[in-house]
Amino acid sequence: MAVAAPRAPRRGGAPPRGGRGRSAALAGYLFVLPTVALFSVFVAYPFLRSMYLSLTRWSGFGTPDFVGLENFDNLVSDPVFWDALTTTLVFTLACTVLQTAVPLLLAVLLNRGWRLGVVFRTVIFVPAVVSFVVTGSLWQMVYDPNFGQLNQFLEGIGLGSLAQPWLADTTTVLPALVVVSLWQAAGLYMLIYLAGLQGIDPVLYEAARIDGATAYQRFRHVTVPMLRRVTAVVVLLNVVNGFKTFDVIYVMTGGGPNRASEVLGTYLYGLAFGSSAGAVPSFGYATAISMVVFVLCLLATLVQVRVNRKARDVH
Amino acid sequence: MSIETLNRTARPPRVRIARLFGYLLLIVISAASAYPLLWMLITSVRPRNTVFGGGFLPDEFTFDAYRQAWTDLNFPRHFMITLVITVITVLGVVALATLAGYAFAHLEFRGKQFIYVTLLSTIMLPVTAIVIPLFLELDALGLLGGQTGLVLVYIGTSVPFAMFLMRVFFETLPHELVQAARVDGAGEFAIFARVMLPLAAPGAATVVIFQFMNTWNEFLFAQTFLRTPEQLPLQPVLYAAVGQHSTDWPLLCASLTMSILPIIMVYMRMQRRFVAGMTLGAVKS
Repeated sequence: MAVAAPRAPRRGGAPPRGGRGRSAALAGYLFVLPTVALFSVFVAYPFLRSMYLSLTRWSGFGTPDFVGLENFDNLVSDPVFWDALTTTLVFTLACTVLQTAVPLLLAVLLNRGWRLGVVFRTVIFVPAVVSFVVTGSLWQMVYDPNFGQLNQFLEGIGLGSLAQPWLADTTTVLPALVVVSLWQAAGLYMLIYLAGLQGIDPVLYEAARIDGATAYQRFRHVTVPMLRRVTAVVVLLNVVNGFKTFDVIYVMTGGGPNRASEVLGTYLYGLAFGSSAGAVPSFGYATAISMVVFVLCLLATLVQVRVNRKARDVH
Repeated sequence: MSIETLNRTARPPRVRIARLFGYLLLIVISAASAYPLLWMLITSVRPRNTVFGGGFLPDEFTFDAYRQAWTDLNFPRHFMITLVITVITVLGVVALATLAGYAFAHLEFRGKQFIYVTLLSTIMLPVTAIVIPLFLELDALGLLGGQTGLVLVYIGTSVPFAMFLMRVFFETLPHELVQAARVDGAGEFAIFARVMLPLAAPGAATVVIFQFMNTWNEFLFAQTFLRTPEQLPLQPVLYAAVGQHSTDWPLLCASLTMSILPIIMVYMRMQRRFVAGMTLGAVKS
Protein backbone atom coordinates (compact mmCIF):
# COMPACT_ATOMS: atom_id res chain seq x y z
CA MET A 1 0.00 0.00 0.00
CA ALA A 2 2.94 2.30 0.22
CA VAL A 3 3.60 4.54 -2.67
CA ALA A 4 6.72 6.13 -1.36
CA ALA A 5 9.08 7.12 -4.09
CA PRO A 6 11.98 4.89 -3.12
CA ARG A 7 15.17 6.79 -2.53
CA ALA A 8 18.53 5.38 -1.72
CA PRO A 9 19.69 5.92 1.82
CA ARG A 10 23.06 7.49 1.19
CA ARG A 11 24.81 7.20 4.46
CA GLY A 12 28.54 7.55 4.40
CA GLY A 13 28.67 7.74 0.59
CA ALA A 14 30.37 5.00 -1.37
CA PRO A 15 31.21 1.71 0.34
CA PRO A 16 34.54 2.14 2.09
CA ARG A 17 37.30 -0.05 0.73
CA GLY A 18 39.28 -2.42 2.86
CA GLY A 19 38.45 -5.07 5.47
CA ARG A 20 35.69 -3.33 7.43
CA GLY A 21 33.83 -2.11 4.36
CA ARG A 22 34.00 -5.51 2.80
CA SER A 23 32.65 -7.31 5.86
CA ALA A 24 29.83 -4.76 6.11
CA ALA A 25 29.01 -5.36 2.46
CA LEU A 26 29.07 -9.10 3.01
CA ALA A 27 26.77 -8.71 6.02
CA GLY A 28 24.47 -6.58 3.85
CA TYR A 29 24.15 -9.35 1.27
CA LEU A 30 23.62 -11.99 3.95
CA PHE A 31 20.96 -9.89 5.69
CA VAL A 32 18.90 -9.36 2.56
CA LEU A 33 19.46 -12.86 1.19
CA PRO A 34 16.52 -14.63 2.89
CA THR A 35 14.15 -11.85 1.84
CA VAL A 36 15.43 -11.88 -1.73
CA ALA A 37 15.19 -15.67 -1.85
CA LEU A 38 11.55 -15.77 -0.73
CA PHE A 39 10.73 -12.81 -2.96
CA SER A 40 12.24 -14.61 -5.95
CA VAL A 41 10.35 -17.83 -5.31
CA PHE A 42 6.95 -16.42 -4.29
CA VAL A 43 6.72 -13.07 -6.08
CA ALA A 44 9.21 -12.61 -8.94
CA TYR A 45 9.06 -16.08 -10.45
CA PRO A 46 5.26 -16.37 -10.27
CA PHE A 47 4.95 -12.96 -11.88
CA LEU A 48 7.29 -13.84 -14.75
CA ARG A 49 5.46 -17.14 -15.14
CA SER A 50 2.19 -15.19 -15.34
CA MET A 51 3.60 -13.16 -18.19
CA TYR A 52 4.57 -16.34 -20.02
CA LEU A 53 1.31 -18.17 -19.28
CA SER A 54 -0.66 -15.25 -20.68
CA LEU A 55 0.86 -16.22 -24.05
CA THR A 56 -0.25 -19.84 -23.81
CA ARG A 57 -3.34 -21.98 -23.89
CA TRP A 58 -3.45 -24.34 -20.92
CA SER A 59 -6.01 -26.20 -18.87
CA GLY A 60 -3.52 -27.35 -16.23
CA PHE A 61 -2.77 -30.76 -17.78
CA GLY A 62 0.33 -31.51 -19.81
CA THR A 63 2.39 -28.57 -20.99
CA PRO A 64 1.12 -25.12 -21.95
CA ASP A 65 0.73 -24.49 -25.70
CA PHE A 66 2.46 -21.30 -26.77
CA VAL A 67 -0.05 -19.31 -28.80
CA GLY A 68 1.52 -15.83 -28.90
CA LEU A 69 -0.99 -13.03 -28.49
CA GLU A 70 -4.05 -15.18 -29.16
CA ASN A 71 -5.42 -14.68 -25.63
CA PHE A 72 -5.24 -10.93 -26.00
CA ASP A 73 -6.87 -11.15 -29.43
CA ASN A 74 -9.69 -13.10 -27.81
CA LEU A 75 -9.96 -10.56 -25.02
CA VAL A 76 -10.67 -7.79 -27.51
CA SER A 77 -13.69 -9.68 -28.84
CA ASP A 78 -14.89 -11.00 -25.47
CA PRO A 79 -17.96 -9.02 -24.38
CA VAL A 80 -17.71 -10.39 -20.82
CA PHE A 81 -14.20 -8.98 -20.58
CA TRP A 82 -15.32 -5.55 -21.75
CA ASP A 83 -18.23 -5.58 -19.32
CA ALA A 84 -15.92 -6.62 -16.48
CA LEU A 85 -13.44 -3.91 -17.45
CA THR A 86 -16.19 -1.29 -17.55
CA THR A 87 -17.56 -2.45 -14.21
CA THR A 88 -14.06 -2.34 -12.71
CA LEU A 89 -13.52 1.21 -13.98
CA VAL A 90 -16.94 2.43 -12.83
CA PHE A 91 -16.50 0.81 -9.41
CA THR A 92 -13.00 2.28 -9.11
CA LEU A 93 -14.16 5.76 -10.11
CA ALA A 94 -17.09 5.77 -7.68
CA CYS A 95 -14.96 4.43 -4.82
CA THR A 96 -12.15 6.88 -5.51
CA VAL A 97 -14.42 9.93 -5.55
CA LEU A 98 -16.32 8.92 -2.40
CA GLN A 99 -13.32 7.55 -0.54
CA THR A 100 -11.40 10.75 -1.14
CA ALA A 101 -14.13 13.31 -0.44
CA VAL A 102 -15.74 11.73 2.63
CA PRO A 103 -12.48 11.00 4.48
CA LEU A 104 -11.23 14.53 3.74
CA LEU A 105 -14.39 16.02 5.17
CA LEU A 106 -14.18 13.79 8.25
CA ALA A 107 -10.52 14.62 8.79
CA VAL A 108 -11.14 18.37 8.55
CA LEU A 109 -13.95 18.08 11.11
CA LEU A 110 -11.90 15.91 13.44
CA ASN A 111 -8.86 18.17 13.17
CA ARG A 112 -10.69 20.97 14.97
CA GLY A 113 -9.98 19.46 18.35
CA TRP A 114 -13.65 19.15 19.21
CA ARG A 115 -14.83 17.24 22.20
CA LEU A 116 -15.26 13.48 21.63
CA GLY A 117 -13.00 13.68 18.58
CA VAL A 118 -11.05 10.61 19.68
CA VAL A 119 -14.26 8.62 20.11
CA PHE A 120 -15.48 9.51 16.62
CA ARG A 121 -12.07 8.69 15.16
CA THR A 122 -11.89 5.32 16.91
CA VAL A 123 -15.40 4.29 15.91
CA ILE A 124 -15.07 5.35 12.27
CA PHE A 125 -11.81 3.44 11.90
CA VAL A 126 -13.03 0.14 13.38
CA PRO A 127 -14.45 -1.29 10.11
CA ALA A 128 -10.95 -1.02 8.59
CA VAL A 129 -9.63 -3.79 10.85
CA VAL A 130 -12.44 -6.21 10.00
CA SER A 131 -11.74 -8.79 7.29
CA PHE A 132 -13.33 -8.69 3.83
CA VAL A 133 -15.15 -11.95 4.52
CA VAL A 134 -16.70 -10.62 7.73
CA THR A 135 -17.53 -7.31 6.06
CA GLY A 136 -19.10 -9.04 3.08
CA SER A 137 -21.11 -11.53 5.14
CA LEU A 138 -22.34 -8.83 7.47
CA TRP A 139 -23.51 -6.56 4.67
CA GLN A 140 -25.18 -9.44 2.88
CA MET A 141 -27.44 -9.66 5.92
CA VAL A 142 -27.89 -5.88 6.01
CA TYR A 143 -29.01 -5.95 2.35
CA ASP A 144 -31.25 -9.01 2.77
CA PRO A 145 -34.47 -8.27 0.86
CA ASN A 146 -36.87 -9.58 3.52
CA PHE A 147 -35.26 -9.15 6.90
CA GLY A 148 -32.26 -6.95 6.20
CA GLN A 149 -31.73 -3.89 8.35
CA LEU A 150 -31.69 -1.53 5.37
CA ASN A 151 -35.13 -2.44 4.07
CA GLN A 152 -36.53 -2.55 7.62
CA PHE A 153 -35.11 0.91 8.22
CA LEU A 154 -36.67 2.24 5.01
CA GLU A 155 -40.04 0.77 6.00
CA GLY A 156 -39.63 2.17 9.48
CA ILE A 157 -39.30 5.73 8.22
CA GLY A 158 -42.14 5.33 5.74
CA LEU A 159 -40.02 4.84 2.65
CA GLY A 160 -40.98 1.19 2.25
CA SER A 161 -41.48 1.74 -1.46
CA LEU A 162 -37.71 2.16 -1.82
CA ALA A 163 -37.03 -1.25 -0.30
CA GLN A 164 -35.32 -3.55 -2.81
CA PRO A 165 -33.45 -6.80 -3.18
CA TRP A 166 -30.27 -4.71 -3.27
CA LEU A 167 -27.77 -7.40 -4.22
CA ALA A 168 -30.12 -9.29 -6.53
CA ASP A 169 -30.96 -6.37 -8.79
CA THR A 170 -28.59 -5.55 -11.64
CA THR A 171 -29.07 -1.80 -11.20
CA THR A 172 -28.55 -1.57 -7.43
CA VAL A 173 -25.84 -4.16 -6.90
CA LEU A 174 -22.90 -1.95 -7.82
CA PRO A 175 -23.92 1.08 -5.74
CA ALA A 176 -24.58 -1.32 -2.84
CA LEU A 177 -21.03 -2.67 -3.14
CA VAL A 178 -19.57 0.84 -3.35
CA VAL A 179 -21.28 1.66 -0.04
CA VAL A 180 -19.70 -1.42 1.57
CA SER A 181 -16.31 -0.37 0.25
CA LEU A 182 -16.78 3.15 1.63
CA TRP A 183 -17.85 1.75 5.00
CA GLN A 184 -14.64 -0.21 5.26
CA ALA A 185 -12.17 2.22 3.70
CA ALA A 186 -13.28 5.63 5.01
CA GLY A 187 -11.49 5.28 8.36
CA LEU A 188 -8.07 4.53 6.91
CA TYR A 189 -8.09 7.41 4.43
CA MET A 190 -9.44 9.70 7.14
CA LEU A 191 -6.40 8.87 9.27
CA ILE A 192 -4.04 9.51 6.36
CA TYR A 193 -5.67 12.91 5.84
CA LEU A 194 -5.50 13.66 9.57
CA ALA A 195 -1.78 12.98 9.55
CA GLY A 196 -1.49 15.35 6.58
CA LEU A 197 -3.57 18.07 8.24
CA GLN A 198 -1.40 17.98 11.33
CA GLY A 199 1.55 18.89 9.12
CA ILE A 200 0.01 22.19 7.99
CA ASP A 201 1.45 25.26 9.69
CA PRO A 202 -1.31 27.04 11.71
CA VAL A 203 0.28 30.37 10.75
CA LEU A 204 -1.17 29.92 7.25
CA TYR A 205 -4.70 29.83 8.67
CA GLU A 206 -3.95 32.82 10.89
CA ALA A 207 -2.74 34.78 7.88
CA ALA A 208 -5.80 33.82 5.85
CA ARG A 209 -8.04 34.84 8.73
CA ILE A 210 -6.37 38.23 9.00
CA ASP A 211 -6.92 38.70 5.28
CA GLY A 212 -10.61 38.13 5.96
CA ALA A 213 -10.94 34.69 4.34
CA THR A 214 -14.13 32.80 5.14
CA ALA A 215 -14.06 29.24 6.45
CA TYR A 216 -14.76 27.92 2.97
CA GLN A 217 -12.05 30.10 1.43
CA ARG A 218 -9.56 28.92 4.04
CA PHE A 219 -10.44 25.33 3.20
CA ARG A 220 -10.28 25.97 -0.54
CA HIS A 221 -7.09 28.05 -0.60
CA VAL A 222 -5.08 26.75 2.35
CA THR A 223 -6.18 23.21 3.26
CA VAL A 224 -6.71 21.78 -0.22
CA PRO A 225 -3.44 23.04 -1.76
CA MET A 226 -1.42 22.06 1.29
CA LEU A 227 -2.86 18.56 1.16
CA ARG A 228 -2.11 18.06 -2.54
CA ARG A 229 0.58 15.43 -1.94
CA VAL A 230 -1.55 13.54 0.58
CA THR A 231 -4.51 13.64 -1.80
CA ALA A 232 -2.32 12.23 -4.56
CA VAL A 233 -1.45 9.30 -2.28
CA VAL A 234 -5.07 8.73 -1.25
CA VAL A 235 -6.25 8.82 -4.86
CA LEU A 236 -3.54 6.41 -6.00
CA LEU A 237 -4.28 3.93 -3.20
CA ASN A 238 -7.97 4.13 -4.06
CA VAL A 239 -7.41 3.64 -7.77
CA VAL A 240 -5.03 0.71 -7.34
CA ASN A 241 -7.28 -0.94 -4.74
CA GLY A 242 -10.22 -0.42 -7.06
CA PHE A 243 -8.44 -2.12 -9.97
CA LYS A 244 -7.38 -4.97 -7.70
CA THR A 245 -10.77 -5.39 -6.11
CA PHE A 246 -11.76 -8.99 -5.50
CA ASP A 247 -12.60 -10.19 -2.00
CA VAL A 248 -15.73 -8.25 -1.05
CA ILE A 249 -17.36 -8.78 -4.43
CA TYR A 250 -16.42 -12.46 -4.51
CA VAL A 251 -17.89 -12.94 -1.04
CA MET A 252 -21.06 -10.87 -1.51
CA THR A 253 -22.21 -11.54 -5.07
CA GLY A 254 -19.63 -13.72 -6.80
CA GLY A 255 -19.92 -11.27 -9.68
CA GLY A 256 -23.70 -11.61 -10.03
CA PRO A 257 -26.54 -11.17 -10.54
CA ASN A 258 -26.15 -11.94 -14.24
CA ARG A 259 -22.53 -10.68 -14.10
CA ALA A 260 -23.69 -7.18 -13.15
CA SER A 261 -20.94 -6.93 -10.52
CA GLU A 262 -18.34 -8.97 -12.37
CA VAL A 263 -14.97 -7.19 -12.16
CA LEU A 264 -11.68 -8.29 -13.72
CA GLY A 265 -10.56 -9.95 -10.47
CA THR A 266 -13.66 -12.12 -10.09
CA TYR A 267 -13.79 -12.92 -13.81
CA LEU A 268 -10.22 -14.19 -13.99
CA TYR A 269 -10.52 -16.09 -10.71
CA GLY A 270 -13.63 -17.84 -11.97
CA LEU A 271 -11.90 -18.80 -15.23
CA ALA A 272 -8.97 -20.34 -13.35
CA PHE A 273 -10.57 -21.84 -10.26
CA GLY A 274 -14.32 -21.85 -10.84
CA SER A 275 -14.28 -25.45 -12.04
CA SER A 276 -17.35 -26.17 -9.90
CA ALA A 277 -19.29 -24.76 -12.84
CA GLY A 278 -18.03 -27.74 -14.81
CA ALA A 279 -15.78 -25.69 -17.08
CA VAL A 280 -12.18 -26.62 -17.83
CA PRO A 281 -9.79 -24.14 -16.18
CA SER A 282 -8.31 -21.72 -18.70
CA PHE A 283 -5.10 -20.64 -17.00
CA GLY A 284 -3.71 -18.95 -20.10
CA TYR A 285 -6.73 -16.76 -20.70
CA ALA A 286 -7.10 -15.96 -16.98
CA THR A 287 -3.47 -14.87 -16.67
CA ALA A 288 -3.92 -12.67 -19.75
CA ILE A 289 -6.69 -10.85 -17.85
CA SER A 290 -4.45 -10.64 -14.79
CA MET A 291 -1.85 -8.91 -16.97
CA VAL A 292 -4.49 -6.31 -17.85
CA VAL A 293 -5.08 -5.72 -14.12
CA PHE A 294 -1.33 -5.43 -13.62
CA VAL A 295 -0.93 -2.91 -16.45
CA LEU A 296 -3.78 -0.81 -15.03
CA CYS A 297 -2.06 -0.70 -11.60
CA LEU A 298 1.28 0.05 -13.22
CA LEU A 299 -0.20 2.94 -15.23
CA ALA A 300 -1.82 4.40 -12.10
CA THR A 301 1.50 4.24 -10.24
CA LEU A 302 3.42 5.84 -13.11
CA VAL A 303 0.89 8.67 -13.32
CA GLN A 304 1.24 9.21 -9.58
CA VAL A 305 5.05 9.33 -9.74
CA ARG A 306 4.82 11.84 -12.57
CA VAL A 307 2.29 14.07 -10.77
CA ASN A 308 4.40 13.97 -7.63
CA ARG A 309 7.52 14.96 -9.53
CA LYS A 310 5.68 17.87 -11.12
CA ALA A 311 4.34 19.01 -7.75
CA ARG A 312 7.86 18.88 -6.35
CA ASP A 313 9.22 20.93 -9.25
CA VAL A 314 6.58 23.62 -8.70
CA HIS A 315 7.45 24.08 -5.04
CA MET B 1 -6.77 23.99 16.89
CA SER B 2 -5.19 26.77 18.89
CA ILE B 3 -6.97 29.38 16.81
CA GLU B 4 -10.24 27.69 17.52
CA THR B 5 -9.72 27.96 21.26
CA LEU B 6 -8.59 31.56 21.07
CA ASN B 7 -11.79 32.56 19.35
CA ARG B 8 -14.08 30.58 21.55
CA THR B 9 -15.16 33.67 23.48
CA ALA B 10 -16.49 35.59 20.50
CA ARG B 11 -18.13 33.08 18.21
CA PRO B 12 -20.68 34.40 15.74
CA PRO B 13 -23.89 32.34 15.42
CA ARG B 14 -22.98 31.32 11.87
CA VAL B 15 -19.95 29.45 13.20
CA ARG B 16 -22.11 27.82 15.87
CA ILE B 17 -24.47 26.45 13.24
CA ALA B 18 -21.57 25.16 11.16
CA ARG B 19 -20.27 23.43 14.26
CA LEU B 20 -23.63 21.89 14.94
CA PHE B 21 -23.75 20.53 11.41
CA GLY B 22 -20.22 19.20 11.79
CA TYR B 23 -21.13 17.34 14.96
CA LEU B 24 -24.31 16.02 13.39
CA LEU B 25 -22.39 14.66 10.42
CA LEU B 26 -19.81 13.00 12.66
CA ILE B 27 -22.55 11.40 14.73
CA VAL B 28 -24.38 10.08 11.68
CA ILE B 29 -21.22 8.63 10.13
CA SER B 30 -20.03 7.13 13.41
CA ALA B 31 -23.44 5.52 13.86
CA ALA B 32 -23.29 4.12 10.32
CA SER B 33 -19.80 2.76 11.02
CA ALA B 34 -20.73 1.11 14.29
CA TYR B 35 -24.27 -0.03 13.54
CA PRO B 36 -23.59 -3.17 11.44
CA LEU B 37 -21.10 -4.42 14.03
CA LEU B 38 -23.42 -3.69 16.95
CA TRP B 39 -26.26 -5.38 15.11
CA MET B 40 -24.03 -8.40 14.56
CA LEU B 41 -23.24 -8.58 18.26
CA ILE B 42 -26.88 -8.33 19.26
CA THR B 43 -28.07 -10.82 16.66
CA SER B 44 -25.51 -13.33 17.90
CA VAL B 45 -27.24 -13.52 21.30
CA ARG B 46 -30.81 -13.43 20.01
CA PRO B 47 -33.07 -16.44 20.44
CA ARG B 48 -33.64 -17.86 16.97
CA ASN B 49 -37.37 -17.24 16.87
CA THR B 50 -36.95 -13.49 17.39
CA VAL B 51 -34.39 -12.87 14.63
CA PHE B 52 -36.82 -11.93 11.90
CA GLY B 53 -38.98 -9.19 13.28
CA GLY B 54 -38.83 -7.88 16.83
CA GLY B 55 -37.10 -4.81 18.20
CA PHE B 56 -33.44 -3.89 17.99
CA LEU B 57 -32.79 -5.17 21.50
CA PRO B 58 -34.09 -8.67 22.19
CA ASP B 59 -36.16 -9.37 25.32
CA GLU B 60 -33.98 -12.28 26.29
CA PHE B 61 -30.44 -13.35 25.55
CA THR B 62 -29.03 -16.76 24.70
CA PHE B 63 -25.59 -18.10 23.92
CA ASP B 64 -26.99 -21.04 21.95
CA ALA B 65 -25.51 -19.74 18.71
CA TYR B 66 -22.05 -19.58 20.24
CA ARG B 67 -22.42 -23.10 21.55
CA GLN B 68 -23.51 -24.27 18.12
CA ALA B 69 -20.63 -22.51 16.34
CA TRP B 70 -18.27 -24.02 18.88
CA THR B 71 -19.40 -27.60 18.18
CA ASP B 72 -21.07 -27.72 14.73
CA LEU B 73 -18.60 -25.47 12.93
CA ASN B 74 -15.68 -26.85 14.90
CA PHE B 75 -14.74 -23.29 15.73
CA PRO B 76 -11.91 -23.90 18.25
CA ARG B 77 -10.02 -26.01 15.73
CA HIS B 78 -10.15 -23.40 12.96
CA PHE B 79 -9.42 -20.64 15.43
CA MET B 80 -6.25 -22.45 16.54
CA ILE B 81 -5.21 -23.13 12.93
CA THR B 82 -5.58 -19.43 12.15
CA LEU B 83 -3.63 -18.51 15.24
CA VAL B 84 -0.76 -20.88 14.45
CA ILE B 85 -0.55 -19.81 10.79
CA THR B 86 -0.67 -16.16 11.81
CA VAL B 87 1.94 -16.41 14.56
CA ILE B 88 4.44 -18.32 12.39
CA THR B 89 3.92 -15.86 9.53
CA VAL B 90 4.37 -12.86 11.81
CA LEU B 91 7.57 -14.30 13.32
CA GLY B 92 8.99 -15.08 9.89
CA VAL B 93 8.08 -11.70 8.45
CA VAL B 94 9.49 -9.75 11.39
CA ALA B 95 12.74 -11.73 11.44
CA LEU B 96 13.38 -11.26 7.73
CA ALA B 97 12.10 -7.69 7.56
CA THR B 98 14.22 -6.41 10.45
CA LEU B 99 17.37 -7.98 8.94
CA ALA B 100 16.72 -6.62 5.47
CA GLY B 101 15.39 -3.26 6.68
CA TYR B 102 18.51 -2.76 8.77
CA ALA B 103 20.78 -3.70 5.86
CA PHE B 104 19.07 -1.19 3.55
CA ALA B 105 19.27 1.55 6.18
CA HIS B 106 22.79 1.12 7.59
CA LEU B 107 24.95 -1.13 5.42
CA GLU B 108 26.56 -0.28 2.10
CA PHE B 109 26.75 -2.88 -0.64
CA ARG B 110 26.77 -2.85 -4.40
CA GLY B 111 23.36 -3.09 -6.06
CA LYS B 112 21.55 -2.05 -2.89
CA GLN B 113 19.29 0.48 -4.57
CA PHE B 114 18.36 -1.91 -7.36
CA ILE B 115 17.54 -4.75 -4.96
CA TYR B 116 15.52 -2.40 -2.78
CA VAL B 117 13.38 -1.01 -5.60
CA THR B 118 12.83 -4.49 -7.03
CA LEU B 119 11.62 -5.81 -3.69
CA LEU B 120 9.40 -2.79 -3.14
CA SER B 121 7.70 -3.18 -6.52
CA THR B 122 5.75 -6.05 -4.89
CA ILE B 123 3.57 -3.46 -3.23
CA MET B 124 1.81 -2.43 -6.42
CA LEU B 125 1.55 -5.96 -7.80
CA PRO B 126 -2.08 -7.12 -7.71
CA VAL B 127 -2.50 -10.41 -5.85
CA THR B 128 -4.75 -11.70 -8.61
CA ALA B 129 -1.78 -11.37 -11.00
CA ILE B 130 0.23 -14.02 -9.13
CA VAL B 131 -2.39 -16.27 -7.57
CA ILE B 132 -2.58 -18.59 -10.60
CA PRO B 133 1.18 -19.24 -11.00
CA LEU B 134 1.51 -19.54 -7.21
CA PHE B 135 -1.15 -22.24 -7.25
CA LEU B 136 0.73 -24.09 -10.00
CA GLU B 137 4.07 -23.60 -8.26
CA LEU B 138 2.84 -24.96 -4.93
CA ASP B 139 1.36 -27.90 -6.83
CA ALA B 140 4.73 -28.59 -8.49
CA LEU B 141 6.52 -28.34 -5.14
CA GLY B 142 4.04 -30.72 -3.52
CA LEU B 143 2.98 -27.96 -1.12
CA LEU B 144 -0.53 -27.43 -2.46
CA GLY B 145 -3.22 -28.19 0.10
CA GLY B 146 -0.82 -27.85 3.04
CA GLN B 147 -0.40 -25.10 5.56
CA THR B 148 3.39 -24.97 5.09
CA GLY B 149 3.00 -23.75 1.53
CA LEU B 150 0.43 -21.18 2.60
CA VAL B 151 2.72 -19.80 5.31
CA LEU B 152 5.66 -19.60 2.90
CA VAL B 153 3.51 -17.68 0.42
CA TYR B 154 2.34 -15.35 3.19
CA ILE B 155 5.90 -14.62 4.29
CA GLY B 156 7.24 -14.19 0.77
CA THR B 157 4.53 -11.79 -0.33
CA SER B 158 4.44 -9.80 2.95
CA VAL B 159 8.13 -9.30 3.67
CA PRO B 160 8.75 -6.53 1.10
CA PHE B 161 6.30 -4.08 2.70
CA ALA B 162 7.41 -4.97 6.25
CA MET B 163 11.01 -4.51 5.13
CA PHE B 164 10.07 -1.04 3.86
CA LEU B 165 8.53 -0.11 7.22
CA MET B 166 11.57 -1.40 9.11
CA ARG B 167 13.97 0.53 6.88
CA VAL B 168 12.08 3.71 7.70
CA PHE B 169 12.39 2.97 11.43
CA PHE B 170 16.07 2.02 11.25
CA GLU B 171 16.84 5.19 9.32
CA THR B 172 15.66 7.28 12.25
CA LEU B 173 18.48 5.75 14.36
CA PRO B 174 21.84 7.54 14.16
CA HIS B 175 24.43 5.81 12.01
CA GLU B 176 27.09 6.82 14.54
CA LEU B 177 25.89 3.98 16.80
CA VAL B 178 26.90 1.47 14.14
CA GLN B 179 30.27 3.14 13.62
CA ALA B 180 31.01 3.31 17.35
CA ALA B 181 30.17 -0.38 17.78
CA ARG B 182 32.47 -1.20 14.85
CA VAL B 183 35.31 0.73 16.47
CA ASP B 184 34.70 -1.37 19.58
CA GLY B 185 35.24 -4.41 17.43
CA ALA B 186 31.69 -5.78 17.38
CA GLY B 187 30.74 -8.06 14.49
CA GLU B 188 28.08 -6.93 11.98
CA PHE B 189 25.41 -9.32 13.23
CA ALA B 190 26.10 -8.40 16.86
CA ILE B 191 25.74 -4.71 15.96
CA PHE B 192 22.38 -5.46 14.39
CA ALA B 193 21.09 -7.77 17.10
CA ARG B 194 22.46 -6.14 20.27
CA VAL B 195 22.78 -2.46 19.42
CA MET B 196 20.26 -1.52 16.75
CA LEU B 197 17.40 -4.04 17.03
CA PRO B 198 16.50 -3.16 20.64
CA LEU B 199 16.22 0.49 19.61
CA ALA B 200 13.96 -0.42 16.71
CA ALA B 201 11.59 -2.44 18.91
CA PRO B 202 8.73 0.07 18.60
CA GLY B 203 8.99 -0.19 14.82
CA ALA B 204 9.04 -3.98 14.97
CA ALA B 205 5.94 -3.87 17.19
CA THR B 206 4.14 -1.88 14.50
CA VAL B 207 5.10 -4.48 11.90
CA VAL B 208 3.91 -7.28 14.21
CA ILE B 209 0.48 -5.73 14.65
CA PHE B 210 0.05 -4.81 11.00
CA GLN B 211 1.12 -8.27 9.85
CA PHE B 212 -1.02 -10.02 12.47
CA MET B 213 -4.10 -8.26 11.17
CA ASN B 214 -3.31 -8.89 7.50
CA THR B 215 -2.60 -12.59 7.93
CA TRP B 216 -5.54 -13.17 10.26
CA ASN B 217 -7.86 -11.57 7.71
CA GLU B 218 -6.36 -13.08 4.54
CA PHE B 219 -8.87 -14.91 2.38
CA LEU B 220 -7.88 -15.36 -1.27
CA PHE B 221 -4.70 -17.45 -0.79
CA ALA B 222 -6.20 -19.57 1.98
CA GLN B 223 -9.31 -20.23 -0.09
CA THR B 224 -7.28 -21.14 -3.18
CA PHE B 225 -4.35 -23.13 -1.80
CA LEU B 226 -6.07 -25.24 0.86
CA ARG B 227 -8.64 -27.87 -0.01
CA THR B 228 -9.51 -30.14 2.91
CA PRO B 229 -12.09 -28.49 5.17
CA GLU B 230 -10.33 -29.61 8.38
CA GLN B 231 -7.24 -27.62 7.46
CA LEU B 232 -8.88 -24.30 6.74
CA PRO B 233 -8.25 -21.14 8.73
CA LEU B 234 -11.21 -19.00 9.76
CA GLN B 235 -11.81 -16.77 6.75
CA PRO B 236 -12.60 -19.55 4.25
CA VAL B 237 -14.56 -21.38 6.98
CA LEU B 238 -16.71 -18.30 7.53
CA TYR B 239 -17.17 -17.94 3.79
CA ALA B 240 -18.36 -21.52 3.52
CA ALA B 241 -20.60 -21.12 6.57
CA VAL B 242 -22.37 -18.17 4.96
CA GLY B 243 -23.14 -20.38 1.99
CA GLN B 244 -24.39 -23.31 4.07
CA HIS B 245 -26.25 -21.57 6.87
CA SER B 246 -27.35 -18.46 5.03
CA THR B 247 -30.58 -18.17 7.03
CA ASP B 248 -29.17 -19.01 10.46
CA TRP B 249 -28.23 -15.47 11.37
CA PRO B 250 -27.46 -15.99 15.05
CA LEU B 251 -25.00 -18.76 14.14
CA LEU B 252 -23.35 -16.63 11.46
CA CYS B 253 -23.19 -13.57 13.69
CA ALA B 254 -21.73 -15.56 16.58
CA SER B 255 -19.03 -16.98 14.28
CA LEU B 256 -18.22 -13.60 12.77
CA THR B 257 -18.06 -12.01 16.22
CA MET B 258 -15.70 -14.64 17.57
CA SER B 259 -13.50 -14.37 14.48
CA ILE B 260 -12.91 -10.63 14.85
CA LEU B 261 -12.45 -10.68 18.61
CA PRO B 262 -8.63 -11.00 18.59
CA ILE B 263 -8.29 -8.17 16.05
CA ILE B 264 -10.64 -5.84 17.93
CA MET B 265 -8.85 -6.55 21.20
CA VAL B 266 -5.46 -5.78 19.67
CA TYR B 267 -6.91 -2.64 18.07
CA MET B 268 -8.42 -1.34 21.28
CA ARG B 269 -5.28 -1.95 23.32
CA MET B 270 -2.71 -0.75 20.83
CA GLN B 271 -4.58 1.76 18.76
CA ARG B 272 -1.65 4.09 18.21
CA ARG B 273 0.69 1.44 16.82
CA PHE B 274 -2.11 -0.03 14.77
CA VAL B 275 -2.83 3.31 13.17
CA ALA B 276 0.88 3.98 12.67
CA GLY B 277 1.29 0.68 10.82
CA MET B 278 -1.63 1.32 8.52
CA THR B 279 -0.87 4.94 7.68
CA LEU B 280 2.91 5.07 7.72
CA GLY B 281 3.38 3.54 4.32
CA ALA B 282 1.07 6.06 2.75
CA VAL B 283 2.23 9.18 4.52
CA LYS B 284 5.92 8.51 4.19
CA SER B 285 6.05 9.39 0.49
